[in-house]
Amino acid sequence: MPRRPLYTYLMLALLAALLAVAALAQEAPEPTVEDDAMQRLLARFSDHPDHFTQTSGEALYRATCQACHMEDGQGDMGAGAHPPLTDNPKMNSRHFVAGVILTGYHGMPGFADVMSDEQVAAVTDYVRSHFGNDYPDMITPDEVANLRPPDNAD
Amino acid sequence: MTSTRFNPSRRQLLAMIGKVAGGAAMYQAMTSLGFAQTSGYSGAVSLQGPREGRRVLILGAGIAGMAAAYEMRRAGYEVRILEYQARQGGRCLTLRGGDRYTEMGGHEIACDFQGDGYFNPGPWRLPVHHRAVFDYCRRLGVPLQPFINKNNKAYLHSASAFDGQPQRIGHVETDMRGHVSELLAKSLNQGDLDNAVSAEDREKLLEGLKEWGVLDSDYRYSVSDDLGEVRGWDIRPGGGLMAEKSPSQPNDLSPLLQSGLWEQLFNFNDYLFEPPMFEPVGGMDAITDAFARDVSDLIRFNARVTRIAQNENGVSITYEDGGRGGEMREETADWCLCTIPLSVLVQLDVDCSDAMRRAIAAVPYASAFKVALEFRRRFWEQDDWIMGGISYTDLPLVQIAYPNYGFLSDGPAVLQAAYDTATAGRTFTYSWSSMTPQERIEAALELGRQIHPQYDAEFMSGTSWVWHRVDWSLGCYGQWTDDLRDEHYETLCEIDNRLVLAGEHCSHIPAWLEGSLLSALDAIKRLDQRENA
Repeated sequence: MPRRPLYTYLMLALLAALLAVAALAQEAPEPTVEDDAMQRLLARFSDHPDHFTQTSGEALYRATCQACHMEDGQGDMGAGAHPPLTDNPKMNSRHFVAGVILTGYHGMPGFADVMSDEQVAAVTDYVRSHFGNDYPDMITPDEVANLRPPDNAD
Repeated sequence: MTSTRFNPSRRQLLAMIGKVAGGAAMYQAMTSLGFAQTSGYSGAVSLQGPREGRRVLILGAGIAGMAAAYEMRRAGYEVRILEYQARQGGRCLTLRGGDRYTEMGGHEIACDFQGDGYFNPGPWRLPVHHRAVFDYCRRLGVPLQPFINKNNKAYLHSASAFDGQPQRIGHVETDMRGHVSELLAKSLNQGDLDNAVSAEDREKLLEGLKEWGVLDSDYRYSVSDDLGEVRGWDIRPGGGLMAEKSPSQPNDLSPLLQSGLWEQLFNFNDYLFEPPMFEPVGGMDAITDAFARDVSDLIRFNARVTRIAQNENGVSITYEDGGRGGEMREETADWCLCTIPLSVLVQLDVDCSDAMRRAIAAVPYASAFKVALEFRRRFWEQDDWIMGGISYTDLPLVQIAYPNYGFLSDGPAVLQAAYDTATAGRTFTYSWSSMTPQERIEAALELGRQIHPQYDAEFMSGTSWVWHRVDWSLGCYGQWTDDLRDEHYETLCEIDNRLVLAGEHCSHIPAWLEGSLLSALDAIKRLDQRENA
């Protein structure tokens, strides 16, 4: 696959917003609440189609995990279930959590191809320190690197 | 060791063939290896039927389950379907004005369309070579209409190229063909390709390139009335004393390459999307509704299966009547055909071989989402002259699909305003899936207005669908890789004692109705053979 050109929409939007703010400086010195909310919403998207560009654990959680584990980390159930991240003994192990993020688990897709070791570590630490979790042990990007499946892609 | 045995993987082998012999040879090899096949459908399935009364329990009233029920009852089996939802059709569904759906997380999806526009969250177009689907549409009397997948008037768009102005698909295509023809002609004329092309072929090739790429007498791709006849006009030919026609101006090669628009054009390349494509008139659920007309008396709705027990004599299915927490009931049968998506099945208590259990647990389910918006008028037709088809963009909405029905009618109409799946490797679908239904509509409006500024004035209401927030599928479709298939596919499809699985996940055409149908037909054929062995 050829690499796609750098995805620059958000930068352009930011630039446009800055110009608009500058132009309206005398009448409306502050961007509106709605504009802020929209920028936060669009920040949910990566700047690049092929991998995530967000760096904080929270931003990455909001852009990916939240789809199934929900805003509050509680998941949900019906015919099948997305498990809660609270009161879940599997969260005890930082290696297990990072491994699941890398390779997926059952129907859950893995994120090894779209997140760096640093990003996987950030998400792991975020979910293990939020939603009622308070695990003190952080995972390092080096530890994540060791969990990556061997690159057997050809 | 004096020599190393070279054992290429199938992918390596295909890549080598592709490099050495080109795409066509690679495709041929893929077909030989069982990939990229045209549909394996070879006509209506013929079952022998049971020698004595035999009961078959089918889990799931999607297209695979209903097709199996349809054929097996005809062959003399006693059939029953257990379905979790209060509706049939599975992932083949259509939303219309007034529909409501509560997705996981408790968010309500509202569809408040005022007009007769509809929205197909799952399958929405039929490749003409999906012969099983077409044959059932014929047999069940489902009327089809053309689905315009590629419309040369629709747009390709990059937020960071051509000042953010969308370009017509036909323009990009003609320009790329012209520039590539010019470059190839230059190489030929300079003798660069004399080793590859004989003198006789060279003349034929140059002649063809001139026509194909619309090159001038110096083999240049440039503005001319001839180009106008192919690429269109800035001032279109008129009547009477209207202004003199004037050909359109081609884009230079470099901006086209750097913009990524050429790559967007490849969205139309797949054999799957070869014109003509079709869709059922009035919405995709016309197909599953047609099956239901035949088999609805066999379906028990609101039955949530919790356990699939089996021994050498038969199966016993435990289910909650009325969904999770409902009264536990049990059904027994001689055979079970289970079409429950693997993402859900892996969470149930199933008696099967360890190998099959590993296969069920191995397949991730792909992320996919869609947003649909209703507008007061068909501005894409009235203002932009886009009659059906799909526009692509590098914005996270990825594509906008225009309705292929109701052309030029007054009143509201519905766009499929955003859609992507994880298959293409893009990250956006996860982020859309993490939004609330209201946020998805707001994001689709904010991004889409960059392509169609009319959004602001004409918007009425929107709706959406996120497959990872559907509790009965937990994702959109089985996301197979070559390695996963090598390890698990055969095991997954084999009859395990009294149990056999079916659905798109048990096919080489994942996510498509055709895959579900072929999987079901193959499974019941093997059950029937086992019954009569």
